[in-house]
Amino acid sequence: MRKYLSGVIILALMTMLVTACGSGDNSGSSASPSDASQTASGQPKDGGNLIIGVASDPVILNPNYASDRVSLTIDQALYAPLFQVNNGKKTFYLADSLEPSADKLTYTLKLKSGLTWHDGEKLTADDVVFTFDKIMDEKQNSMLRSNFIIDGKPVKAVKIDDTTVEFKLPQVSPAFEAALVQVSPIPKHIFENEADIEKSPKNNTPVGSGPFKFKEYKTGEYVTLERFDNYFGGKPHLDSITYRISKDANASNLALQNGEINVKYVDPQDAATIESTGNFDMKNYSEGRLSYLIFNEKSDTGLLANKEVREALSYALNRDELIQVAYTSADYADPAKSFVTPDALYHDNNVPTYDNDVEKAKQMLQANGVTGKTLRFIVASGNKSQEAISLYVQQKLKDVGVNVEIQSMDSSAYTAKYTDPNATDYELAVGGYIMGFDPDAYSMLYTTGADSNYTHYSNPEVDKLFQQGASEADDTKRGEIYKKLQETIASDAVIYPIAYTKTIVAVDKRYGGLDEAVLKPVVIFEDLSKLYQK
Amino acid sequence: MRRLIVRRLLQTLPMLFFVSIVCFILVKAAPGDPVRSFVTPNMHAADIERVRHNLGLDQPLYVQYFMWLKECLTGNFGYSLVNHQPVLDQILERLPATAGLMASAIALAVIIAIPLGLAAGANRGRWVDKLVNMIAYIGNSLPLFWLAILMIYFFSIKLHWLPSMGMRTIGTDSALDVIKHGILPCIVLAIGFLSVYVRYIRSSTISQLREDYVQIQYAFGSTKRRILFRHVMKHVLLPIITLLGMSMGDLVAGAIVTETVFSWPGIGSLGMTAVRGMDYPVILGITLFSSVLLILGNLLADILYGIVDPRIKTTR
Repeated sequence: MRKYLSGVIILALMTMLVTACGSGDNSGSSASPSDASQTASGQPKDGGNLIIGVASDPVILNPNYASDRVSLTIDQALYAPLFQVNNGKKTFYLADSLEPSADKLTYTLKLKSGLTWHDGEKLTADDVVFTFDKIMDEKQNSMLRSNFIIDGKPVKAVKIDDTTVEFKLPQVSPAFEAALVQVSPIPKHIFENEADIEKSPKNNTPVGSGPFKFKEYKTGEYVTLERFDNYFGGKPHLDSITYRISKDANASNLALQNGEINVKYVDPQDAATIESTGNFDMKNYSEGRLSYLIFNEKSDTGLLANKEVREALSYALNRDELIQVAYTSADYADPAKSFVTPDALYHDNNVPTYDNDVEKAKQMLQANGVTGKTLRFIVASGNKSQEAISLYVQQKLKDVGVNVEIQSMDSSAYTAKYTDPNATDYELAVGGYIMGFDPDAYSMLYTTGADSNYTHYSNPEVDKLFQQGASEADDTKRGEIYKKLQETIASDAVIYPIAYTKTIVAVDKRYGGLDEAVLKPVVIFEDLSKLYQK
Repeated sequence: MRRLIVRRLLQTLPMLFFVSIVCFILVKAAPGDPVRSFVTPNMHAADIERVRHNLGLDQPLYVQYFMWLKECLTGNFGYSLVNHQPVLDQILERLPATAGLMASAIALAVIIAIPLGLAAGANRGRWVDKLVNMIAYIGNSLPLFWLAILMIYFFSIKLHWLPSMGMRTIGTDSALDVIKHGILPCIVLAIGFLSVYVRYIRSSTISQLREDYVQIQYAFGSTKRRILFRHVMKHVLLPIITLLGMSMGDLVAGAIVTETVFSWPGIGSLGMTAVRGMDYPVILGITLFSSVLLILGNLLADILYGIVDPRIKTTR
C-alpha cells in the first residue's frame, strides 16, 4: 500500500494547485516581504541592495557596442556618459560643458577634473579621444559610427589638454549633440592593445566610470555591481545592484511580487495586478516612442498610394478607442498626432488629423472605389497590442465597407516583411519607433527611398525640408522647418499615429530617490547613485 | 561485443551527417536575417553588405554548410552571432546546470514510476490501475509551463517555502542553496517524464505477468507480492534502460520551457535566447550536441541491454 502513497500525494498536490489558481489573484499576497516601511523619512540612507529584473543576458558590457536593452541598462550603471538630455535640458556627467564655436563647426568638450576609472586610473581627454577614434574605426564595427558621419564625412576628435576635447564637424549638424549623448567613454589603458575590442575578453570584466563597478556575472543568472566610492557625483547610496535575468514574463512578475525582484518593466495588461498588491510604486513615463499604423503605399493593389484613401481609412478610426484597446488605459499612452515624439525638439501635436468621421470615410471610400475591397494587415503573433489593434481596425473598417484580412506571422517573419523594401503583399501593419531628441533622425523614415521608409512615402517637398533641417544652424528657422514637416506629413496621412506609448516600471516601495535618479526610456534609471533603500 | 560496438558506432556516422544537414537547412530556412542583429536603422546599405560579407553570409548555402561542418569537426562550433563567445564554451558552461537538473528529474521520475507502474500492471482494471492511469494522463496533458507557474504561485508566493527563480541566491554559493532552487523545476520535469515511464512499466508488467514462469511460481505457491518484486520486476526494469538511453538527448538539450520559466541557467534557456536572437551557430550547436548525445545514449542502452539480457546478444 505504501507504494501507492506517492501517487496519491501527487494527485492531491495537483488538486491543491488547481484550486489555488481558481481561488484567484485578488486575495493579494499580504504576507509579502516587501511591505513598505511607513516610518522611513525622506532622508536617503546608505546601504542595501537593489535587484532589477531583466529579460535576457546582456550581449556585451561595452557602450561602444551595446545595442540591446539589457546591455544598455547595465552599462548605464557601469559607464558614466558625458552628458544626458531630458526634455531639451542638458545634465552634465563626465563633461563639465559642451560649447559650439560661432560657426558651429567645432564643439569644445570640457571634462570635470579628477575623474577616475573603477580601477583607480585617471580618466582624461585621452580616453574620450580613444573612445571616439575606436567608434570611427571601421574595423571596430561600432554601431555608433554612422551617427558621426555627416554627409559622407567623419567627425574628428582632437585632444587639446587633459580635460579638453574638440570635435571637428565637416559641416554644420545640429544633430551632433544627439549623437554625442550616446557616447560613454571606455578606458584607453584597458583596450589600447586590443585588435578587436568587440571580441576582447576584457569586456567580461568591464572597467567603467559609473556609480557602480562590476563584481560578478553568472551567465543566465545575474550580473552584480557594487558601489564605486570615487564616483564623481558622490558616493552612491546603495551597496550593490543586481540585474537578475528572468526570461519568462509571468514568472518574473511572480518573482517581483515575491520580493525576489525589486524593479521591473511591466506590461499594461499586468499593471493592475501588480499595483493591487500595494507594495509597488507604479511609474509610467514616456519612452519617446510612437506607435502607429503603417500604410504601405507600395502594395501590389496600389490602394494606399492614394492620399484620399489613407485619409478615409483614418476617418474610420477613433484614436481614444484604439488606445483603450491596445494599451488598456489612457494612463499608459498619450494620443499621438505628429510623427515627432514629445521628447524631441520642435514636437508639435497641433497638426491636421483625420479621425472619427465614419460618414465621411464611407463617402470617400465610395468615391475612390475602395468599398468592398480587401486590405491585408500583417501582425506579429503573440504581440498583444498589435493583435488588439488589428482586430479593432478590422471591425472599424468593416463598418465603412472595407474588409481587412489579418495575417498573423512569427515575429521575425513580421519584422523581415515590413522592413523589406520590396514587400508588396500587405497594406497595413503596426509600427513603432524611438528616434531620440533630434528630429533629423526621422529623415530615414520619411524621405524618398530612405532605409527605413516602411510606408514608401515620397514627397519631394518633404525630402527638401529634411535636407534643410539637417544643416540649419538657426534655431528659430530650424523649428519652422520641422513644424512644416509635421504638418505636411500629417496632412498627407502618411501614417496613422496612434499613441506616444509609456513604459510602466514597478518599483518596490522600500526604495526611494526615484525622481533624483531620473526615470529614463530603455535604461530605466539615468543616475543610479541617487537610489536608496528607505 | 566489440564488433557490435564498432559496427553501431559506424552506423551513427551517416546518421550524424544527415542530422547536421537537416539542422542546418531548417535553421537557414527560418525567417529572419541574422545580419539584423549587427546593424542599426541608420546604417547604410553598403555597411550592411560589408557586415554580411564579413560574416560569410553572402556565400552560397552549400559553401556555408561545409565551412561550418569543417570547423565543427575540428571542435569549433563557431561563435555566437550575438555575443561573439564560442558556442561550445557557452554550452559547456551551462551543461552542469542542465545535466544536474535533468538527471535528478529523471531519477525522481524513475523512482516514482517503478512502484506505480508495477502496482498498476499487477492490478489491471482495478482502482489502483485507474488512479495511476489518470495520473499518467494528467501528467501527459498538462502544459508544463502552466504547471510551473502554478507551482511558483503556490509554493513561492503563497507559502514562501521555496524560491521562485534562478539557481542560486545572489552572492551565495552553497550546494544546499542550489538544491533548494532546484526542487520546483525538478518536480515539474519529473511529472513530465513520470507519465511516460509509468505507462511503459505498466504495460510491460502486464505482459510479464502472462509469462509461463509466473504461472510456475504460482504453482509453487509463491505469493503475488513475492512474484512481482522478486521475478517480474527484473524483467520490467529492462525497458527502462531504453527509456533512459532515449532521455540522454533531453539530459543536455534541457527543457526549454521549464528552464525559461524558472530562469534556470541551463542549455534550454540558452537555446531559447538563441532562437529569439536568431543566433544560428548557437541553435545549431545545441541541436547537434544533443543529437550526438541522443545517438550515443541509444548506443549505450543497446550495449547495456546486451549485458543485462543475454538473449539479445545472441540474436544479433
